[in-house]
Amino acid sequence: MIASLMSGMSGVLLGQGETDLLTRWFFRTPAATDAGRHTDALYIGLWWFCVFWFVFLMALMAYFVVRYRRRKGVPAPVSASHNTPLEIAWTIIPTILVGVIFFLGFDGYMNKMVAPGNAVEMRITGFKWSWKLEYPNGAEATDRTTTPVGFRDVPLFYMPAEVPIKFRMNSQDVMHAFWIPDFRIKMDLLPNRYTSLYFQAEAPDGANVLPTSAEDAAAKNLPFNESLAGVPYTDHWVFCAEYCGTEHSEMAAVIRVIPEDAFNKWVATAGIGNLEPVQIGEIVYKQNCQACHSVDGGANTGPTWKDLYGSQRQFVDGTSAVADENYIRESILYPSRQLVQGYGNNMTSFAGVLSDKQIDGVIAYMKSLSVNAPAEPAAGEGDGEGAGEAPAGTDAPAEGGGQ
Amino acid sequence: MSAASHATGHAGGHAHHGNYLTPKGGFWTTVKDWATTVDHKKIGIMYLFAILFMFFLGGVMALAVRAELWEPVRQEGGQISGQMLYSMFNSEPATSIAEGNNNYNRVFTLHGAIMVFMVIVPSIPASLGNFLLPLMLGAKDVAFPRLNLLSWYIYLFGSFFAVISLVMGGVDTGWTFYTPYSTTTEGYWRVVLMVLGAFILGFSSILTGLNFIVTVHKLRAPGMGWFDMPLFVWAIYSSAIIQVLATPVIGITLLLLIMERVFRIGIFDPALGGDPVLYQHFFWFYSHPVVYVMILPGMGIISDVIAVQSHKRIFGYRAIAFASLGIAAVSFLVWGHHMFTSMSELAAMVFSALTFLVAIPTAVKVFNWIMTLYKGSIAFNTPMVYTLIFLVLFSIGGLTGLPLGTLATDVHLHDSYFVVAHFHYVMMGGTIMALMAGLHHWWPKFFGKMYNEPMAIVGALLVFVGFNITFFTQFFLGSQGMPRRYASYVDEFQFLHQVSTVGSFLLLVGFLVHLGVFIHSLVAGKTAPANPWGGLTLEWLADSPPDEHNFHHEPIVKHGPYDFDAVVPPHWDPADYPLPADVTKPHNVVKAH
Repeated sequence: MIASLMSGMSGVLLGQGETDLLTRWFFRTPAATDAGRHTDALYIGLWWFCVFWFVFLMALMAYFVVRYRRRKGVPAPVSASHNTPLEIAWTIIPTILVGVIFFLGFDGYMNKMVAPGNAVEMRITGFKWSWKLEYPNGAEATDRTTTPVGFRDVPLFYMPAEVPIKFRMNSQDVMHAFWIPDFRIKMDLLPNRYTSLYFQAEAPDGANVLPTSAEDAAAKNLPFNESLAGVPYTDHWVFCAEYCGTEHSEMAAVIRVIPEDAFNKWVATAGIGNLEPVQIGEIVYKQNCQACHSVDGGANTGPTWKDLYGSQRQFVDGTSAVADENYIRESILYPSRQLVQGYGNNMTSFAGVLSDKQIDGVIAYMKSLSVNAPAEPAAGEGDGEGAGEAPAGTDAPAEGGGQ
Repeated sequence: MSAASHATGHAGGHAHHGNYLTPKGGFWTTVKDWATTVDHKKIGIMYLFAILFMFFLGGVMALAVRAELWEPVRQEGGQISGQMLYSMFNSEPATSIAEGNNNYNRVFTLHGAIMVFMVIVPSIPASLGNFLLPLMLGAKDVAFPRLNLLSWYIYLFGSFFAVISLVMGGVDTGWTFYTPYSTTTEGYWRVVLMVLGAFILGFSSILTGLNFIVTVHKLRAPGMGWFDMPLFVWAIYSSAIIQVLATPVIGITLLLLIMERVFRIGIFDPALGGDPVLYQHFFWFYSHPVVYVMILPGMGIISDVIAVQSHKRIFGYRAIAFASLGIAAVSFLVWGHHMFTSMSELAAMVFSALTFLVAIPTAVKVFNWIMTLYKGSIAFNTPMVYTLIFLVLFSIGGLTGLPLGTLATDVHLHDSYFVVAHFHYVMMGGTIMALMAGLHHWWPKFFGKMYNEPMAIVGALLVFVGFNITFFTQFFLGSQGMPRRYASYVDEFQFLHQVSTVGSFLLLVGFLVHLGVFIHSLVAGKTAPANPWGGLTLEWLADSPPDEHNFHHEPIVKHGPYDFDAVVPPHWDPADYPLPADVTKPHNVVKAH
């Protein structure tokens, strides 16, 4: 309240236009949540507070330096070397002022961070180096959007406008932090406990509308999604703010806020239930694997998936094996058991992270990328016990393959 | 601190028999003399050069960081662009962004680790403190001269480990070594060596602190009460207390980190049953107080320089002295503000409130410094210019701490470029600028040579302008959404990043000017008088450069350190130093020679 008074004051002082100018300087765009706008007002209020004290002190300093500059042969006059009332005043006044600032900050923080009881809970998982989101109905966000961050596309999270949302978050490996600059909020993700983040995004202003047809989509350079045709939207960046290694700076996502009814309609059709295994595999790849594995033969932290399936793998311990379904499943669940020559022990286990259906999808996707897959039976000459039940070249899931 | 009669230095008469810099013999004799010296002045000078070298090394890393951020990393059609560090060392274009990013991550880690552990923490206490503390107290040396030499060798030993790690390829953990990243990232031995280096450097810090505390307690010259000590001594004393109390905590923490990495004991890594937030608590329980180890000695320099260069009694001596102790005490209670985004709301509230407490003694000091200028006789020379630069930059650094201590705004600004800008304003704009002020102020005392004043002022102004271009932009980057420790960024941040990079190279030019001034002074500088600025503290009683044993006779203190309105400075002629008309009976110190 006092914060909005403070920003109102700067509005009076400068005219609303200039306050908007400050907002643009500091934040580019006004916050996209009510609580975030409170933060903006507080920030701008603090800015005026700092400017006042800085100008006051520096002007005093500059005046003294010029006024009392050294003159040859002129001594400095005797003056008091302390003044108790003055010193008490300049101790007590800052104490009161910072007390007020503390209170405003705490108040805004509680409004911003503590979710109301009716908030819709969603799950965020962070891992090196991307994010995953699970909607309340169990559907996972699978859409991607291309961005100028680094070289790859990043996850796209649809969010309903004007609905309180609470993210329950944790990390799969090291620490990360989920920062939505437009909402002025951020929270760390820890590997060993949940943290949470709350926001209530404002409705899109209608300036941006998702494509209404395939032609419109091509013109706007956006993918076409029939269930979201013509829906207004606003995009917001998500950045990882806690240093997490090689591709920390590419660990971004986009939150796309759409009206609640459009969101509800869309989320009902989301998820991977009715997709082909190859499609599931591609989605899983983009969500989890592409930070380290290329599909075009390019070098990266891990081996490329191009022509991997069915090829002969040389391991650091000197042994070798053919990359069949069992090998791939084992590599996903227990990545450090066998290390391919030339690569370090960098991959985290996906045990408990990917479902059997998703792992089968990955296998199908890898088959689709390999010249070795259709030509010969991948798990043919009996070096895995599940070989007989899962002939290569079919999309049948290799059930029990990894037991 | 009453303006009591006069101080007695050495009562002249001696024939010159060289000073502490006079070589003892041939080249190897001199090397051996320096390598085995227990003279606090020589140890201080060796620290000074080591620290300036490390500052250069850390500065090169900083410029590499700024160069890499000139443009964002992009991949179009398999072609990777914007990885300046990678293309500098490789003729072939990169095939993945991973390698270039890894280079960047190592470079910013080394910048941070070198600047914190090897430059800013030891900078003022180990170099200026070592040299000046015994002189200011009127002592022959520190309390434990051999322990002092040991601290120096421990510093070299610790730095050696860090350099080995660097030569082996460096580490990419960030200078904070956050777990579980630091216990699992590549470069097993490199991380262990770097952490071991920081661990060893800690002992150097503890022993130096211990030495200084005892020196201040036991070796003050006759007549010097606690409140007759120069404020630089108060500041060094306060920071020595923090060094002794807090450094063991980081020692234990780093040792646990090494054990976690080597023996997998499971204290910080959740995969082994540990807790990474525990590491953060341990780490910041040291690393926040140590921020004040970095800044308090700088504040001490400013207090002394501002009084001497304006020939003015410092305003509120006791308030400044107690503010130093107050800051030292509160500094132990605020470590949680580094973790606002990983702690409960209640803990965040408590730490936010405690954090604001630090603002008060800090503000009091700034008010006192500015009031000291009132009715002074203010010289316009390099120490004073750097003091004014300090006041400008440190005020910005301090005031921008407010939105970071304020919870609602911190949740947005945390781990962004705003924080980067804030701590550079405090650490570099504060500590390094104070170091520059002190270095010029006491340079004549260290080496017996004057420096080229106009050129040094040009250097200072270049540094000031370059610094602001580099770091003021980063406040805006941060509040607009740029996270720290990013090798790349989204396009909208490019303009500000480029401005910042330009500023960083201007900063380089400024420091190169200073390097030229220093070399010129050592080679061809005019001989410095014993007391070029007219200071009243005891170091100005000694020769420039001081005699091997500092003073010819034990000085006796008979006036306060800043009684400029009643005492003619040592080595000065009362005719050149008019005292105010209302001083009825001017005092004079015994003149040298």
